[in-house]
Amino acid sequence: MSEKDTTHFGYKEVDKNAKAGMVADVFHSVASRYDLMNDLMSAGIHRIWKRFTIELSGVRKGNAVLDIAGGTGDLAAKFSRIVGPEGRVVLADINDSMLQVGRDKLLDTGHQGNIEFVQADAQFLPFPDESFDCITIAFGLRNVTEKDLALRSMLRVLKPGGRLLVLEFSKPQSELLSKAYDTYSFRVLPFMGKLVANDSESYQYLAESIRVHPDQETLKGMMEDAGFNTVEFHNMTGGVVALHKGIKA
Amino acid sequence: MTGDINPTLHTAALAAAEAALNRALELAPAASAALTALEDDVFALHCTAPAVDIYLQPQGNNVRLMGMYDGPITTSIRGEASDFASLATASDPAAALINGNLELHGDSAPLIELQRVLSQLDVDWEAPLVGALGDVAGHQLAEMLRNAFAWGKQASASFGRQLEEFIHEEARLSPPRLELEDFYRDVQALSLRVERLESRSARLRARLRQRAGH
Repeated sequence: MSEKDTTHFGYKEVDKNAKAGMVADVFHSVASRYDLMNDLMSAGIHRIWKRFTIELSGVRKGNAVLDIAGGTGDLAAKFSRIVGPEGRVVLADINDSMLQVGRDKLLDTGHQGNIEFVQADAQFLPFPDESFDCITIAFGLRNVTEKDLALRSMLRVLKPGGRLLVLEFSKPQSELLSKAYDTYSFRVLPFMGKLVANDSESYQYLAESIRVHPDQETLKGMMEDAGFNTVEFHNMTGGVVALHKGIKA
Repeated sequence: MTGDINPTLHTAALAAAEAALNRALELAPAASAALTALEDDVFALHCTAPAVDIYLQPQGNNVRLMGMYDGPITTSIRGEASDFASLATASDPAAALINGNLELHGDSAPLIELQRVLSQLDVDWEAPLVGALGDVAGHQLAEMLRNAFAWGKQASASFGRQLEEFIHEEARLSPPRLELEDFYRDVQALSLRVERLESRSARLRARLRQRAGH
């Protein structure tokens, strides 16, 4: 197998064509307990990270928003209220189990009328050019096989002046926090995964995939290379998570 | 990169404040209904000490608090925390804005309306108490709370009145408001008369110079 044809799957090197299927298996496995695990793993802080993402999105009434890897619809639910009936929110996820859980959750909580659910691959977004005012991808980019391809695809469907927000685990800014975070990720996280979702391997993958994901500056460079302007990032919780923002000129 | 304040803490604090405010609004239907008139107005509160920015946007019957907002602002005010506290508790917000240290940009009318709605928040404790404790106990506790609040409000208003009277009338530490306004009017009238006199004397001097020239 040539180097070009492989990619990361956690710490493993796998065939590029196989990664999407392997990631899909992980999320099929955790979909039903995804929200509970997120709350347990982050002690609820993921809600604060997502709230900050919404603030930075600048989304207003009447806007069109695409939430990629939208999972169980946390961001889409908030955007749906903000854009109102004259706006449009598309919740996209490559994984049909996650999409199903997200759709059920949003419909059960009365979010409807301005939300569409689309099963889509972030690398090949099935939308016309310049369709959205804002695109968000929260904790999804690290699972994408070809991140550059996905970033270019997002740029294509954004309207000029539109913004992309990438919320993703990143590199802790202090050595001490980094060590504590490692212990937590490789010891506690798989144990909690085993206990709550009866699946320690998926959570082992989660911890590994975070470590091989590009750090703050690298991702900023990748966004700039893809064609985004005025790219900036905000570290949250000491850099455990970073929110990158880029504008389409 | 981020500003001075940790975005996680700032966002968490705003989320908690927003939840508390919206819970109070849920229990005050009149205020909640009045807020709908301000829907989509965005108020920027820039506090200089401590340095923190808060954006407030009424949305339906709720209020949204944000640490960042990238869009058109209806009213923007800047000042220290104590200035904001004075405005929040002022019985006459327009006077507080004019006489206070707050720097205001944009439309002041929606801000005054927002201050009026929030300062007159009349929380109905009965519904959640009845839900939690049952009809009889809930109603009695709500009645006690209502009386305690009413007494507190009345006592504070009465104390305020008496203190004002003592300061103005008994101790003569400060002149009463009307007397002061009368004094300001006299000063203003005098200042206008002095200005007129000044321009008249300038005119006369110019005329004299003209004659001396001939």
